[in-house]
Amino acid sequence: MNPVGVVTQVNGREIARSVPARMTLVEFLRDELGLTGTKVSCELQVCGVCTVLVDRKPVSSCAFLAVDIDGREVTTIEGVASDGKLHPIQQAFIDHFALQCGFCTPGFVMMAVALLEEVPQPTPEQVVSYLEGNICRCTGYRSILEAVLDAADRLERASP
Amino acid sequence: MRGSILGAAVKRAEDPRFVRGEGRYIDDMRVEGAVWMACVRSPLAHGRITSIDIDEASRAPGVIGVYTGTDFGAYRMPIPAVGAHESTARPIIASDVVRFAGELVAVVVAESREAASDAASLVWPEFDSLPVVVDPRRAAGQDAPLLFPEAGSNVVVSGGDESEDDPVSGAEVVIGLELENQRVAAIPLEPNNALAIPDDAGNLELWVGTQSVHLARNRIFKTLGLDRDRLRVRVPDMGGGFGAKISPYPEQILCAAIALELGRPVRWQEDRIENLAAMSHGRAQFHKVRLGATAEGRITGLDWNVIADGGAYPLEGAVLAGYTRRMAAGPYDIPAIRFRWRGVVTNTAPTDAYRGAGRPEATMTLERLMDLLAVELDLDPVEIRQRNFITEFPMTTAVGERYDSGAYSDALDLARDLVGYDELRTEQKRRREGNDRFQIGIGVSSYVEVTAPDGRKEWGAVEVTPDEVVVYSGASSHGQGHETTFTQLVADVLGVERDRIRFVQGDTASIAHGGGTMGSRSMQLAGSAVVGAGESVIEKARRIAAHVSEAAVEDIVMLDNGTIGVAGVPDSGRSLFQLAEIAADPANLPDGEEPGLGADHTWVQEAATIPFGTHISVVELDTETGDVRLIRHAACDDCGVIFNRMIVDGQVHGGVAQGAGQALLERVVYDDAGNLQNANLTTYLMPTATNLPLIQIDHTVTPTDQNVLGAKGIGEAGTIGSGPAVVNAVHDAMAPFGVRHLDMPLTSARVWAAIS
Amino acid sequence: MDFVVATDLEEALDALGRGALPLAGGTDLMVGVNAGQRPDNVVALRRVRELRQRNGQRIGAGVTWRVIEDEGPRALAQAARTVGSPQIRNAGTLGGNVGTASPAGDGLPFLAAVDAEIELTSREGVRTLRWDEFFTGVKETARRTDELITAVVLPAALPGRQEFAKIGVRNAMVIATVACVVTRADDGTTTVALGSVAPTPIRIPEAEELAKTLSDPGSAALDEFQHLVAAGVRPITDHRSTEEYRRHGAGVLARRLLTRCLREGAA
Repeated sequence: MNPVGVVTQVNGREIARSVPARMTLVEFLRDELGLTGTKVSCELQVCGVCTVLVDRKPVSSCAFLAVDIDGREVTTIEGVASDGKLHPIQQAFIDHFALQCGFCTPGFVMMAVALLEEVPQPTPEQVVSYLEGNICRCTGYRSILEAVLDAADRLERASP
Repeated sequence: MRGSILGAAVKRAEDPRFVRGEGRYIDDMRVEGAVWMACVRSPLAHGRITSIDIDEASRAPGVIGVYTGTDFGAYRMPIPAVGAHESTARPIIASDVVRFAGELVAVVVAESREAASDAASLVWPEFDSLPVVVDPRRAAGQDAPLLFPEAGSNVVVSGGDESEDDPVSGAEVVIGLELENQRVAAIPLEPNNALAIPDDAGNLELWVGTQSVHLARNRIFKTLGLDRDRLRVRVPDMGGGFGAKISPYPEQILCAAIALELGRPVRWQEDRIENLAAMSHGRAQFHKVRLGATAEGRITGLDWNVIADGGAYPLEGAVLAGYTRRMAAGPYDIPAIRFRWRGVVTNTAPTDAYRGAGRPEATMTLERLMDLLAVELDLDPVEIRQRNFITEFPMTTAVGERYDSGAYSDALDLARDLVGYDELRTEQKRRREGNDRFQIGIGVSSYVEVTAPDGRKEWGAVEVTPDEVVVYSGASSHGQGHETTFTQLVADVLGVERDRIRFVQGDTASIAHGGGTMGSRSMQLAGSAVVGAGESVIEKARRIAAHVSEAAVEDIVMLDNGTIGVAGVPDSGRSLFQLAEIAADPANLPDGEEPGLGADHTWVQEAATIPFGTHISVVELDTETGDVRLIRHAACDDCGVIFNRMIVDGQVHGGVAQGAGQALLERVVYDDAGNLQNANLTTYLMPTATNLPLIQIDHTVTPTDQNVLGAKGIGEAGTIGSGPAVVNAVHDAMAPFGVRHLDMPLTSARVWAAIS
Repeated sequence: MDFVVATDLEEALDALGRGALPLAGGTDLMVGVNAGQRPDNVVALRRVRELRQRNGQRIGAGVTWRVIEDEGPRALAQAARTVGSPQIRNAGTLGGNVGTASPAGDGLPFLAAVDAEIELTSREGVRTLRWDEFFTGVKETARRTDELITAVVLPAALPGRQEFAKIGVRNAMVIATVACVVTRADDGTTTVALGSVAPTPIRIPEAEELAKTLSDPGSAALDEFQHLVAAGVRPITDHRSTEEYRRHGAGVLARRLLTRCLREGAA
């Protein structure tokens, strides 16, 4: 079905593929690239589970066409840790017990990455409002909020 | 206990893989040669299937087979609702009549997910429509259309107290209440799924998102008439269950059946719209209650009638009112209770357990009654509760439930202090007198819970090899962190570092027996089981050490350096791992000792445990719009001895979110024709981060006498305690407007209509 | 399903000429696709650079909410901030909102309040329709199937004071039960536009007339203003809310926003 050429970078890796025009980004990531860290839940862009970054901005990969990443760079949960070392946001999620079943966690981590790039020292209100499109059914969110705020401090301390 | 990392907020062993995106859920598994199943569901709530045209779908690209009730309709699932007529057994695919919108009428199996789902839209079922009944109160009546004519009534199960004596007669004050505990959806973020992998010898490995692999295996082999030993059920990481993944689903059983028929792996992944239509819903009870009390506010009796909406087939939802009954006394000393319930079928999705499963429903009604009594007698909600608390333990309530231990007043006092109750009342008075647009309401909810209510048996095993310790558990964690807490427990018993312990669960091939994770049972039952197994391992290690050291067993102890050896002879110590190496060779063992250093243990608990607590909620009501915001919530829960505070508090937090969600937002809505009105997450609203306030948590600790750990359950307490606190808070805010009772969810439209 | 990825306006218009459905940010169409709807013919527009351009008062249909949040006129930017989540704001576009024409479209009350025009382009040329000519019913518009919404054109001079607010069942990520924009020019000219309370965005001329005579944010005539708004809307009852509540909410919101405009004017 009229495949379209896509040249992109996923987690820093150059990728050139021909993909069916109707394929969604999350299908591309999971089925074509085997990057199964990104999960699918509501398929309506309202739960945040499938969030990835396209040009460092968060989008719902369930409603984003794979062809539309042509010429852009995509970051998924697999691209957050570097050299096997957890990102401070990931470590903060562990330390604050900001996850239980883990299914929503990749989406929340990606949102935290995007937020702290945009607003390095957010207020609690800014964090809450930035995360309004991400649903967690296990934690009640408070630990996630604490993790993101703590991660902001860790990143600030770590930066020169 | 020695050690000890117990009680500390030990970080979870499972988390690094989750934050890296390396959690492995069923849809993440890649299996060579697997084909995909897609479902065709009934658009009608009640109808007779007249034909299903599968020709076009069968010819579609990539399609391997299209199956209908003609193929698999004769397979019916065991009826969990004891006493229901045999005709009510649920077929794994409708063959004759569909009874709810969303029921399976056909499945398509194809080479890819897209091909299966494309072809599913080419299956054309035809129906003769039948009259629909959606409201269980109407379904229970005389002239209602029957879902199962052979059963003779839509009331398919009933139970409770037979007595003709009115427990409320002669009371000085009588409070009446009719309350709907509305139908809600569990919404685990990972929807249902299955992956069935057959082998050439006719064995089947079935991966399924379930809270209990053993229950799934047992229901599935019985349904399909398979040889039990040929069916291995496994669960990898699972994205939440909340009760809705206790029982296996028809789609999962069909996957198994089709995989066996085709001899190829078959997989199925539900989407969210299917999930809302077909995964079991929860709650859905209608209560009609009268409470009698003295003029001083001492409760004298309770008369309670429940109609439970079981949905289209009587699963657990039809009988969970039995649990509601067991909690009818709550934390209060109530001399006389008559509780009667009926489980009714309707043309809606079947209902089953949802976090609390029959028990939050009891607390909601009882705590509404307590507040109504307080208003009637002009007493503070705290005072009315204090006057009625049970204070002597153990005791048995009027409905026959044994309460093991408690200090109900202490938890209430703690919650009161935590939230700053008196200051809040002063603030409330100020706003009321000032006629502020924003009024506050303070809601109190004191509760007990019956945890591990049934099936109080669990299996665990501990095996030490020269390299590692392996812990096997019949519980099945899917967010509860057993990998952490159970290894903590065993590390403490064995004196071994946690990083040398591996945890195994969720596989019928490696777990001999198991009940799974539900009913707040895991720590008390499965925790006790692994501790028992660990202690047996230590005993065996001592016997082996005694044998090789030529010492008496009584002289063998765990030495200060953590090794096992002769008391007072530090050099005699051997680590468990060394002893495991010795134990591998039968020649090294005393007579009658089995090789290997492992033991299993089945823990059987005599009675349920009764955790308790008090939650206090504070809401702010915009009197102009009826908008309600939850601004504070304090939770004081007592689950006996706590082993990992971080995990316990996490359970409370999540539970509060679900309780508050039901109170303020959530509701599954069907129209009169049985069409689901909110079948996606833009219309079925759950709390987001913006809906939840600061939640303050503390605990009192009152151990139980029922297990070696002194632990009671905590998984459902947050939901049970929080919902009524929020609902009472909203009513407290509405008090100046003379509103007596509103049903959940307390949306702005509902609240505004009541106060305007 | 024929699925075309257009790289420029020409290709997009060709596809539309062949009957393709336009797919912009995916907020609405992908929802249907994921729900099993299978449009035969779709043209994806995200690569069409022309649609992402902003030029004075002309906002390209492909401009995302994220951009409008920072760069749009005040009340439209306020509306943009309430559109879904950051994820949706990065994907969803103003043109998509206009094209879907949901009664609850968050951007639409603003377009009604400022008398915006919708620019439609086809192989045959370009035409512009005023918002009230364009929106014809619940998810119905005057767009021909061969036409693409290429831009929203705002008037050259926008009112100095503009306020947007909405009410939803949940405080976040929610489809509006009522949305409202009130604008006020220096000469006192006031517009009141609402969403989710009629099949299309709606203006309340009676309330606007009255508002023009008001200048005191404490005026007792605000009661009458609120009443006129509540009486002027045509809401329905559905599973989200009731007719009565929407009517009431419309009045309350409009009054709050007018009060805000008046306060600002006085300051």
